[in-house]
This record gives sequence, C-alpha cells and structure tokens, in this order.
Amino acid sequence: MIGVILVKVAFVAVLISTGAYYFSFRKNSIESLSIARYAYHFTAALIMLFSALLMYFILTHQFQYSYVWNYSSSDLPTPLLISTFYAGQEGSFSLWALYTAITGIVLMQYASKKGYESTVMFVWSLVLTFLLLMLIVKNPFTYIWDTFPNDLIHTGIIPPGVTNFVWLDQAKGIWAQFPAEGKGLNPLLQNYWMVIHPQILFIGFTSMAVPYTFALAGLLRKDYQSWVKVAKPWTVFGSAVLGTGIILGGYWAYETLGWGGYWGWDPVENSSLIPWLVSVASIHTMMAQRRSGTFVRTNFVLSILCFIMVLYSTFLTRSGVLGDTSVHSFVDPGMWAYWLLLGVMTLFGMYGFGLLLFRMKEMPKVPVEHSIYSREFALFLGAFTICFAAVFITIGTSSPIITNILKGKAAAVDTSFYVKTTLPLGIVIALLAGIGQLLWWRTSNMKDLMKNLTYPTISSVVFTIGLIIFGVRDSVIVLFSFASSFALFVNLMVGYRVFKGNPKYAGGAIAHIGIALLFLGFVSSAKYDDKQTVTLQQGKPVEILHGYTLTYLGNHALDEERYGFNVKVQYANEVYNVMPVMRYSSFTNGMMRHPDILNMYTKDFYVTPLSVESPDDTKGKSYAFNKGETKDIDGMKVTFVDFDFNDEEKGKMVTEGDVTIGVIFNVKHDDIEETVTPQFKRTSSGPNYVSAKLANNAVEFSIVKLQPNREDKSQSKVEISIANHGNTDDTPKVESLVVEASIKPYINLVWMGTITLVVGFVLTIIRRVQEAKEKD
Amino acid sequence: MKIKIIIASIVIVIALVFGAISFVETNVEYTDFRSAITSHKKVQVKGKLVIEKESYFDYTKAQFVFYLKDDKGQEEKVIFDGAKPNNFELAEAVVVKGRYQDGYFHATDILTKCPSKYEADANTVKKSL
Repeated sequence: MIGVILVKVAFVAVLISTGAYYFSFRKNSIESLSIARYAYHFTAALIMLFSALLMYFILTHQFQYSYVWNYSSSDLPTPLLISTFYAGQEGSFSLWALYTAITGIVLMQYASKKGYESTVMFVWSLVLTFLLLMLIVKNPFTYIWDTFPNDLIHTGIIPPGVTNFVWLDQAKGIWAQFPAEGKGLNPLLQNYWMVIHPQILFIGFTSMAVPYTFALAGLLRKDYQSWVKVAKPWTVFGSAVLGTGIILGGYWAYETLGWGGYWGWDPVENSSLIPWLVSVASIHTMMAQRRSGTFVRTNFVLSILCFIMVLYSTFLTRSGVLGDTSVHSFVDPGMWAYWLLLGVMTLFGMYGFGLLLFRMKEMPKVPVEHSIYSREFALFLGAFTICFAAVFITIGTSSPIITNILKGKAAAVDTSFYVKTTLPLGIVIALLAGIGQLLWWRTSNMKDLMKNLTYPTISSVVFTIGLIIFGVRDSVIVLFSFASSFALFVNLMVGYRVFKGNPKYAGGAIAHIGIALLFLGFVSSAKYDDKQTVTLQQGKPVEILHGYTLTYLGNHALDEERYGFNVKVQYANEVYNVMPVMRYSSFTNGMMRHPDILNMYTKDFYVTPLSVESPDDTKGKSYAFNKGETKDIDGMKVTFVDFDFNDEEKGKMVTEGDVTIGVIFNVKHDDIEETVTPQFKRTSSGPNYVSAKLANNAVEFSIVKLQPNREDKSQSKVEISIANHGNTDDTPKVESLVVEASIKPYINLVWMGTITLVVGFVLTIIRRVQEAKEKD
Repeated sequence: MKIKIIIASIVIVIALVFGAISFVETNVEYTDFRSAITSHKKVQVKGKLVIEKESYFDYTKAQFVFYLKDDKGQEEKVIFDGAKPNNFELAEAVVVKGRYQDGYFHATDILTKCPSKYEADANTVKKSL
C-alpha cells in the first residue's frame, strides 16, 4: 500500500515540478524556479524511496507482492536477487524512472550553470511524468491477491495450517492467502550478465532523453546554435553507454544463451540499435554545426528522434504489438499499457516536431559555405546514410505492424532483409569514415587529399586482393571489405598523426578504427562461419569441419538440473576439452542449451549441445493409439484392442495396492497374427513398465503413457514405444551426443572493434566535457 | 543547388524502392499448408502438433520430425533442422517457418506458443500456497 502511495505522490510532485519549471521559464519567475527545484528533488527522493522499498521487499521475500512473487524466489543468490528488481516490466520501468530521476539532478546542476535550467528541466520533468504514469498503470506494488482475486481471496474461517494470510476485512471475515515461495527467476536470466547488462541499457535509454530536452530547450528559447555545444557531451555519453549495452547483450547471447551468434536481428536487439544509430548520426551533424553553424534543422530533427525512437522501441517491445512474430515472448501487458505507450510517443513526437515546424520560419538561414569536398558535407552524408540504415531497420522491425495494416495479417521479415539493406549502406558508411577524416572544413586542397589517400588506398587494395586470393568471391562482400579496410588504414594513419600531436584529440580516429574492425569482424564471423551438426557416439572420434576431431567422453551431473557433456577436441596436434551444458529447467519445462567455446586467436570453435540419445530411450519411436485404432508401422498392422485388468485388480486400483494394467495389441505381420501385452505395474516401490516382444523376438513393445477413460472406454488412449531390434543398424548401442559445431573466423575482431570504439567514445566525451566547460 | 536536390531525391527514391523490394521479398507470410505447397516460398504456418502421429529426433541427420495440422485441418510432415524446441508438448500452437519441398515442410525456425501467462500463473500460485 505504501508503495502505491509513494508512486502516486511522486507523480503529483513531478507534475508540480513540470508546471513550476514551465512557469519559471515563461514568466522568468525566481519563486517558481525554486518551487520547481524543491518539487523535482522531492520527486527524485520519492522515486529513490519506493525503489529502495521494492528492493527491500525483494530481499526479504515478501511474496504477498505480485511482482516479487513473479520474478524471485528465496533460493536465489543475492546478486541475482537484486537483479530481479528489473526482471519484469514494472521493475524495469522503476529502474528507468530511478535513473532518470538521478540523471535529472546532475542535469539540473549542469543546465543551471549553462543558463538552461528552466526549459531543460521542464522537458525532463515531462519525461519523468511519463515514466511515473507508466508506473501507476503497471505498479510493482500490486498485492498478489489483487492479481488473482478468485484464487486467493476467501471469506469465512481460516482453515488450520494456513499461515500466510492477511485479513482484508476482519469484520466481514474476508481474508487473503499468499504464497510462501516465489516463482523464481527464469533460468535464462540467471547469469552474471543479468546483473550488469540491463542496467547499462537503461542508463543508455535515460541519456537518450538528454539531446531531446536540449533540442526542445533550444526551440523554446529560440536559441538555434549554442544548445548543440551544451548537449553534445551528453549525446556522446548516451551513445557510448547504449552502444556498450547493445554489444554486451550480443556477447551474452553468444557466450551463454547459445544463439549461435552475437546478433540475431531480433526486435529486442533492433529496438536498442535504432536509437543508437540515430544518436551516432546526430553526433556527426552536431560536430558540423559546432564548427560551421550548418545543419541547424537536421540537428533538431535528430536530437528529437533519439528519444522518440527510444519510446518507439519501448512501444514495440513492451506493448505486445509484435505478438507472435518474435522468438522473445512478449507478455501482453494489457490495453492500458498499449495505448499509454502509443499516446506518450505521439505526444512527445508531436510536441517536438510541432515546435520545430512552428519555429522553422524564423530560424535564420545559414548560408552553405562548404564545398562537396568538405568535411561538413562528408559528415552530413555519413549521418544521412546512418539514418537510412536506422530507417530500414525500423521498417523491418515494424513489419508485423505494417503488414497487419496493409494485409490484415502480421508477418515479420526474414533476417536476410536487414543484411540485404544495411550491407550497401555499410559500404558507403565505411568509405565516408575514411574519406571524411582526410577532408578539411569548408573545402579541401585536392593535392593534399590525393597525397593522403595514396597509402591507405594502396594498403586496402592489397588487403582486398589478398582476401580475393584467399577465397572471398561475393562481390558485395569484396566491396564491403575493401571499404572497411580503407576506413581502417585511413584512421590508423590519421589517428597516429593526431595522437603524436595531442592524444586527447584522437577519440574520433580511434572510434572509427573500432568501427572498421567491427565491420571486418562482421564479415568474417557471420559470412564465413562454417557449421556442421554431428552425432557423436561415446568414445568414437569423428572428424568434422576439416580437421577438427571430436570425441564424446561422457556426461556428468553438475547439479540437479544441469548436465555437462565432455567432448575432446583435437585440432592441429593440440588437444582441448570443451563442456557444453544442457539443463532441463523445471521453471520453463524445457531444455536449455549452453554452448562452450574454444577461443583461439584467429577463430572461435563453438559447440552447442542439441540432444543426447542414451541407449535406453532409443528403444524406439513413440506412437499414440486411440482404442480400436490400427496403425501401419514398419510393415506391421498394429491395433490397440483393449486394456487388460482382471476384476480382482480393478478393485485394488481404488485401494492403492499393487496394480497391473496390461495393454492388448493385435499385430499382423508377414501373414502371422499375434497378440502382445506390455504391462504397467504399480508397486509399493514405484511404477514399473514391463515390455513385451513378438514371437520372433525382434520387435519390442513398451508402454509410455496410459490414458484410460473410465466413463467412455472408447475414448481411452495409450502411447507406446515400438523398437525393432531386427534392424539395429541405425540404433546405437552406446550413448550419443548430438552437437552443432561451428567455426567463427576472426570473431575477436568484433570484440576488439567494440573495445576500441568505446575507448574512442570515452576520449571524445572527456574532450567534449572540457570544451563545454570553456566559456564562449 | 537545384541539381543537388534532384540528385539527393533520386538517391532517396532508389534507396526506398530497393528497401520496398527487399521488404516484399523477405516478408515471411503467414499462410496455410495448401498455399505453402504451391508457392514454394519461405512462409510460416501455424498449427497444432498431431500427437497421434510419430514425433522423434533423427539423430543421424540431427533433425526433429513431427506432424503438424494447420488451422484448416491439413496435416503435413515437418522436418526441423535442430533439436526439439522447448515447451514443445505444452504448446497450444506451433508456428513453423520454412518452405515446402520434396513432400514435407522443411522448417528452419519453430516458435511455440504457450498457454496464457495469466492462467499458468494462477495455477502456479495455487500450487505454491
């Protein structure tokens, strides 16, 4: 109850803060500014308080709260228990609100120093209003009996033995029961990545709102130039954090989830990539505007879009609109959340773009003073191309919505859509990432440009020819590799020169080196990966993928649910051991498969377990029969005649003594007709299945599942397994493990590229923060 | 300036047309077995697992074989490149993505749709009292 109240009070407080900030900006009133500050700090304190409260409820296992019950359990280790805070929608919105509230306090100080406080904080409070509204609708403090009233709320006397209960209305005798144990955390999320990855993503999402607030502040104040300088370090920061979050998610998928790759073009992945691309584009055009005052409108549009795309992503992944078209199961959050998310996105979009249109007329036209051979133009083209990639990815991710509107049936695009559309754009981006670094502001000296181009061009041509000799034939891939290596060599050269002068200024070149490495890594690891599915009989070496000899050694239990499978890998006279893990999860009622990876300098050898076939359960194939049904199986006509329980045992059935049930089958084969009766026995020591063989001793029948129907005997069903030992060629006598093995060449380029990119970002942030500190 | 705008518009139009063509080409349509058989395109079909018929993992080819009945009642053999997906038996419906060839539906992806979370949760909560 207290939690619900805190959320509601916080909502009222943030409304006051929003209003007061707006008033202080309109009327330039000092009093309302101070009210606004108090209200904002009060809001932030309340958000921290209810977040702490939620954390307390989780840590103390208060399963009377739906949220706590839904995502945690008392057996989780503390770090994972903490991470259940954001395992569900309500909690992740709380985390987002918490980060937004805290960021706002820093932003308030910063904006106040720059003279932007009232406008920036007005928009920021508006963002926080949306998040709190979301939390009112999807409140993490809902009691479990309000979620399941039919099952948990009772009237009357509390039966003895019930300890977990509360009185809702003692006078009327209404009370509610609540569970003693929580559902627990989805085992897929029980991983150290769960502790760090979502947090980074949400910090990224939070920072994406900063360019939006500064752009709106600029529009409100009719300041079309200087906001860019103030907003820039935040944009770079947001971009760096979101980018790190995205790639960490990819690493998580690759290393533990066993998706086989680091990127699957899944809506969840795409929806964080889209705002990231927009923010990267805006970093480039902001840089140009800082230098030459151009691209005024472009920067407004992109900065507004950064946040709108975050909202759109949230809408896509959290409203249930994508429904059945993705591997991720999107829990339908209900119509309220759907319309709220859609409405909020429309409102923030309309406010931003509406204001921009309104101000457009009076914006001073900045005369274009740069030539085509200028850095400005290259930056613009680069940003434009990146945005196009974002547009294509948005269209692809939204395809279920688009096709639903156009054809009435939702259908997703195949992942090849993304590769097809972004690959050509990638070539342009890589070329520009090279050339752009060699161009000067305003216009370039052709002679110098040509001179600078010489070495990188020669190097990348040699590199590409090498790739062609090595076997790269696909022309688009050749072009892509050429462009990426060109970007790499140019930036190595430029980076070296800048670094010698002043290392602080090398951030741009380093970030572009990172991008070039990433691009090359994408090609090698995704385009030239090689995979094979193989069945490994225990103890028998099998050679696969040109030179890898795998031997399945055996398995052992790691704990109650997880089994490790030891596989010896021999490659180039070296012996390695890998141990992929399979886990039968009682939580999801399914099998989870964890890969094991052999990391080598030039490649990864990736082993995913698919299935294990022990001699016991390769007895035969399963068939389900209705009573009286006849099936053709391996040249036999098999009929399920009836159950066989003699009268005496029928009586025992009820009294829970030993029971034997036989299932009578009539089998016709090779002109013979015979009857087999496999049996099910229930004894005091547990159930026991007794199989039965045909007279020729070759075919064995055993019961898998019995479904007798006492009311209507014709509805009885049975599932049996039939094994033909006369034809044992394909039935292994020993256990076999089926694995998918793949080679990911030069995947380390992807990780190296990422780290380099982040280093570049960090250097740039340091430089931009220092720049923003300087007085104009 | 005008030439710039014209060139830019042409580039944008080409890109958009290219995007639209790719979109239509790669859109995996939701359909039934009847049109999957005639079209030979990559499609997705929703249906129910036929429990009366065999379903097994063919470990020699590492393929999972089962029969699926689509919403119109047509039954087809499905061969999936991979192991049996999670929650397969519990699924209310199964969506297979792939194309029809050589007398069976060759699936490259399987999605299982599980009973509503609310119902499942209500059952769990009753059990954990």
